[in-house]
Amino acid sequence: MNLAVGVSNLILGAIYTCYGIMTLVDLKRGWRTRGFSHFGAAWVAMAFTCGPHHLEHGLHILYSGTSAGALDFAAVAVGFPAGAIWFLLRVEALAGGAGDRFVRGTPAWVAALPYLSGVYLAALVIESVLLLDNGESHLSPRMTPNILLLGIYFLIGYYLIRAQLGTRSQAGGWSLSGLTLGIVFPTCGLMHIFFTEYAAVGQYGIDGVGLAIDWLAVPASIYFVWVVRALYLGTITDWNESAGRAPSQLAAA
Amino acid sequence: MTVTSIWPGQTQGGHRPATEDTVAVRFVAGVRLLLVVTAAAVGSYLPGLSSRKADLMLLIGLGWVPWAMVVLFASEGVGSRLALFGGPVGDLALLTAVELLHPSAAVPVLIGYLVVVVFAVYTMERALAGGIGAAAVVLSWLSQIWIAHSHRVSAAVLVAFTAAVVAMVSLLERTAVLRSRVDSRYERLQTKAETIVANVADAIVVTDAEGRITQCNPAAGRVLGRPHHQLVGQTCALALTLHIDSRAIDCSQGCGLMALAGAADAADVEVWRWAREGVRQPLLASATEVADDDASQEVLHSIRDITRLKQAEEAKTLFLATATHELKTPLTVINGFAETLQVHPDMAPEDRAAALAAISSRGRELAAIIDRLLMSSRIEAGRVSVSLGPVVVAPLAEERGVTFARATDRPVTVLAPEELPFAHANANALITVIDHLLDNAAKYSPPGSPLQIEVKAEGDLVTVAVTDHGVGMDEEQARHCFDRFWQAESTDVRRFGGAGIGLYIVRSLVEAMGASVSVRSAPGQGSTFTIALATEGATVSGSQSAGAETLTEAEATAGRGEPTSIREFMRQIGVPERTAP
Repeated sequence: MNLAVGVSNLILGAIYTCYGIMTLVDLKRGWRTRGFSHFGAAWVAMAFTCGPHHLEHGLHILYSGTSAGALDFAAVAVGFPAGAIWFLLRVEALAGGAGDRFVRGTPAWVAALPYLSGVYLAALVIESVLLLDNGESHLSPRMTPNILLLGIYFLIGYYLIRAQLGTRSQAGGWSLSGLTLGIVFPTCGLMHIFFTEYAAVGQYGIDGVGLAIDWLAVPASIYFVWVVRALYLGTITDWNESAGRAPSQLAAA
Repeated sequence: MTVTSIWPGQTQGGHRPATEDTVAVRFVAGVRLLLVVTAAAVGSYLPGLSSRKADLMLLIGLGWVPWAMVVLFASEGVGSRLALFGGPVGDLALLTAVELLHPSAAVPVLIGYLVVVVFAVYTMERALAGGIGAAAVVLSWLSQIWIAHSHRVSAAVLVAFTAAVVAMVSLLERTAVLRSRVDSRYERLQTKAETIVANVADAIVVTDAEGRITQCNPAAGRVLGRPHHQLVGQTCALALTLHIDSRAIDCSQGCGLMALAGAADAADVEVWRWAREGVRQPLLASATEVADDDASQEVLHSIRDITRLKQAEEAKTLFLATATHELKTPLTVINGFAETLQVHPDMAPEDRAAALAAISSRGRELAAIIDRLLMSSRIEAGRVSVSLGPVVVAPLAEERGVTFARATDRPVTVLAPEELPFAHANANALITVIDHLLDNAAKYSPPGSPLQIEVKAEGDLVTVAVTDHGVGMDEEQARHCFDRFWQAESTDVRRFGGAGIGLYIVRSLVEAMGASVSVRSAPGQGSTFTIALATEGATVSGSQSAGAETLTEAEATAGRGEPTSIREFMRQIGVPERTAP
């Protein structure tokens, strides 16, 4: 389990950091013609905090003698494939491809996701309660960023899933990229809260580097939520603007 | 895939631009959030915290950070008032909690609070509110710090005092915001009014009680033929020199134009002025009294140049006369021969055949005239549209030349290279255009004079030039020859016939094909009319460009080599596409 959690975290860390670099490249390419992109910058901020967090956690698991928790494994087991698919789609988009797959209708595996998620979450909550009940746990200010990140990542996941539901009703299907990201964010939130739980019972340690990274992730993720919300409300200008061509024309085409 | 988000309050298809207030509040809320996160992060690093202090740090982190986040989100649009007032109130509540838990910890928090409020009033750019607010808050904090250490006043008094200060600052700020909005609204309305006056086509001239021009817009300069700033200061009578019928309008007893309008019980009066020696400029003018800002009465003159309207009316009158004449001539011949055939049923067969041939020929001529009139009418009504595609111009021009030569017994030379690119045109429209140009060339050339059609490729264009050796035109005539109902001179009707719509049809059809037509001519040396058509190769890319709307935005941007990842990703997560304002 240690190897699986450690390696998965290292790969996820590399993926998110790579994605940060890719977005930075994209941002630089479009800056001259389209101006600054809050959305791009928010993703860079997110990726450069999520990536190092996973790298740091993976290194601790593999080389510092930290024993990986079962809850941590459960979270990474779901988050890793979703994150990998999402990342490959992003690579495809950067290379000029579609960067997405349209899932027509609601196939059985998509329809089953809410039920599977419910069972998954219920199992994790029970396991969490048992963990905290068995051990001598205590809260510390060092856990603050991880608790905040649980709420923020769940909020992002909620927004993404709500947008995907809107897409489904409008387009008669799902965006694979949106779906995978809707899975990635809540599992990221779970990873942070499980990390906190294991820290509370003394299984994980919160060192200065990890604390700094997690505290940086808080404003970065809040910035991301703020940007996405402002984009939906139309109160900021970003690259979703099409100069001179109305969206209805595109839709009609 | 079209994505429509289901976010509440979301605007579709366009921006709801952030106002100055929103930007300022957004900035302050962002600064507050960063300060709070920094404070919480610093607190979490402190080693060896007692249980009470650790709880305090948790409270700051888990209570204050979400609150600052809510305030930041509220700064967008609808919640800006919450962000304005809720931020400081939330800060106050948390500050009170911190003071109650650990009074000495309030000092760094208070410093952060000072920074936030100073930023708030600074970004609002309201000096009065900023100064009073900052001074009041500093006084409040100093009092709180002093009171907290001396324990002379209860925490409830502290809270009440700080709340009063925050309320006062908020009230001042709100007043300043409202005042600023009124000012900016006034400025916007003034700018709007000035823009309208500056851009209307009618001349606007304002005169004072003495009849002296105090204001006028650029259109006044255009209508009156002088730079508009030179008109200011002159008397109305001298600058405008308006006439009605054959006399100058008398402005010695007040505004003559206003008196005329009043007498005629009309909003405007048709007048004229000398545009230049011997040329009358017809005008439609009105005048009305307006009150100046010092309550003195001024007169606002609105003057419209109706020269073109008059010219159009004259052209239509002329057209009616010429069209009647054009229609009547073949009809007279047809009627004459028909009556002859009726009166002389025993006419010799060769004479009967000649009479029938004349009736047939004049009938075709009549049909051609009616066709032109109908096409002119359709063009004017905007009902002519042509579908474009590849057209082989050379054989088409050759065929029209040969047909025309046979019909008119006039030599027509067609010059065309062996290899020519396809033109992006409509074959039927091009045939009509060439026929009209040949008709026009023949009409203004001596009988038997040769005509020439030359087709060639010039860069991305295929040109068709029709040349005659007829009467030609001077520069002024060449400039107007494509106008509807225009003819070189009034006597043309008698000399050459026609109703002045042939070249108008040519220009309209050529423009409908996205091409251009030009003329090179000199009096007595004939004319050359040249049509320049785009080649199909050049326009293929154009049509592909137009067809790009059938591509997805991602494909379109990929074609331009622009970044795709961020935009595409925004679309995937349901961020709506918007149009630039």
